[in-house]
Amino acid sequence: MDFIKSFKHNFIDSHRLYKMITRICVYILLISVSYVFLYPLLKMLSMAFMSKKDIIDPEVMWVPTSLSFSNFKVANFVLNIPKAFYSTLWFTTVLALSQTIITALTGYALARFDFKFKKMWFVFILVSFVIPIPIVIIPRIMMFTSVQEQFSLQMIGTVYPQLSMSFLGQGVNSAIAVLIFYNFFKMIPYSLDEAAQIDGASAFQVFYHVIVKMSITAITIVFLFSFVWNWNETYVTTTFVRSGIELLSIKLATFDGNFARMGTAIPGQSGEARINEAYKMAATFISMLPLLIVYLFAQKQFIEGIENAGITGE
Amino acid sequence: MKRKNMHKSRQNLMGYLFMSPWMIGFLIFTAIPFFYTIYLSFNDVTLTVRGWEMQWNQYDNYISAFLRNTEFIPNIISFCIYIVIYAPVIIVIAFILAILLNQKIKFRAGFRLIYFLPVIIMSGSVMQQLMDSGNTEMGSLETSVIFMIIYNASPILAKALSFLFENFSMVLWFTGIPIILFINGLQKINKSLYEAAEIDGATSWQMLWKITVPLIKPIVLVTTIFTIVQLGLYNLNPVYQMIQDTIYNTAGGLGLASAFSWIYTFVVMIFVGITFYIFRNKDGQVE
Repeated sequence: MDFIKSFKHNFIDSHRLYKMITRICVYILLISVSYVFLYPLLKMLSMAFMSKKDIIDPEVMWVPTSLSFSNFKVANFVLNIPKAFYSTLWFTTVLALSQTIITALTGYALARFDFKFKKMWFVFILVSFVIPIPIVIIPRIMMFTSVQEQFSLQMIGTVYPQLSMSFLGQGVNSAIAVLIFYNFFKMIPYSLDEAAQIDGASAFQVFYHVIVKMSITAITIVFLFSFVWNWNETYVTTTFVRSGIELLSIKLATFDGNFARMGTAIPGQSGEARINEAYKMAATFISMLPLLIVYLFAQKQFIEGIENAGITGE
Repeated sequence: MKRKNMHKSRQNLMGYLFMSPWMIGFLIFTAIPFFYTIYLSFNDVTLTVRGWEMQWNQYDNYISAFLRNTEFIPNIISFCIYIVIYAPVIIVIAFILAILLNQKIKFRAGFRLIYFLPVIIMSGSVMQQLMDSGNTEMGSLETSVIFMIIYNASPILAKALSFLFENFSMVLWFTGIPIILFINGLQKINKSLYEAAEIDGATSWQMLWKITVPLIKPIVLVTTIFTIVQLGLYNLNPVYQMIQDTIYNTAGGLGLASAFSWIYTFVVMIFVGITFYIFRNKDGQVE
């Protein structure tokens, strides 16, 4: 009864009805777009749990007939998980830490000091973001191989090339990190700096005791982003690390080859080892799982980080 | 006066001191390599026991890139078509989604969470695995009549279009950051503008075109450039893979790879330039 009443009321009030219909349309649109967004991931998840029979069976579309964890065992073995995970973790953390420190210093310089040619350096920061990596990567390779030859230091296949790049502010998407810091530091009132300066603090002391301590949010945001970017970076990493360090992204990219090479050593492979999609999807899922967990806990920081980055140039 | 000078020089010193790591890095790893690649592209580069050896060969690498190599030019063309088709699609979809998400709806945070998720997990190897296993394909266009017609006219265009439809998810994955930027921009638009327009009897369609779009234009510029940069980075881009293969290929060597990267960079810069030109302010200012 109540329903009919409200329906009648709505019907008479055409404006409200119109609003309701638009709202429903908006929801339908947003939900279907979400579906398209998540489709590859859902498909990946469902496939990762499928047995060999389910994959071949055309009647099995989404839900596996039985949950099979053998794919994860295989993927785990081929990716060499405990080791690859640890090396990826420290590799990424080292790069992210150095990138965070240097971009913070750069952001501070731009936000607080009025030095000569500041505008020009600003433009250079944007240029460093826009120019494609291939244009700079060949001299970089030559540089590091020369250093390797000259000083007989192992460079290619280690973390050092990328570490030196992010320590000098040329890591992945450093420009965005600088902009995040720049905008954050500019929001901190200048009077705080002055108060500390009157008390006799040097510029570095001001930076360390005032700015850094007030910018834990920005530091966390940049570190998280930098972590994710370095984790996902494959182009520069495959160029410099190659197979020197067992990194998840490289191991995933070369999964097929590794699988073929390991052959019958893989558990559950009798006779000729045959690769299938389920193994690959399980491996893909494993390699993105740490990031998914990070995102689940820190999604607010990620989204706010982009919102406050001021990339849009105000 | 003296004091002022001192203040000024201190500002200079401190600014350069704090920024010096970045500046040195920019010089060593970006500025010098950028120009050095131009120089390399006119040379034959080989690695010998004495280090890198260069032999000037004039335009030979460029002749190879344009005339001898059969793959490079088609790859560049298909990259251009990808950009021309995908960048507008990504920007328009991101804008529409941002407008929808900017309304008072339930589960806003949830939708935003989903739309931003790809930014976190998107990597070259993940995309490669997902696309290889066919998990990004939601449907196929290749059997339809329209596809056949386009295919007859231009196979590359048809391929790009069918890729757009088949891997629509992948294309949507690039909207993550643009959506956030657009929402941020929409929230900064003064609400009273809409109220004033409403009083004057404007429809929401008119308000969209007369208020929202003009005010959001600077953000469109930024997101478009961002998208062009991002689109270059992943497996959708055949040129990157080709440059990487050439680097390791001893026959062509680094000289040819430099020529490839220079042509590629030039193309990207043209796209960035076009974007600036389209979305420039009327006063001719960039920012």
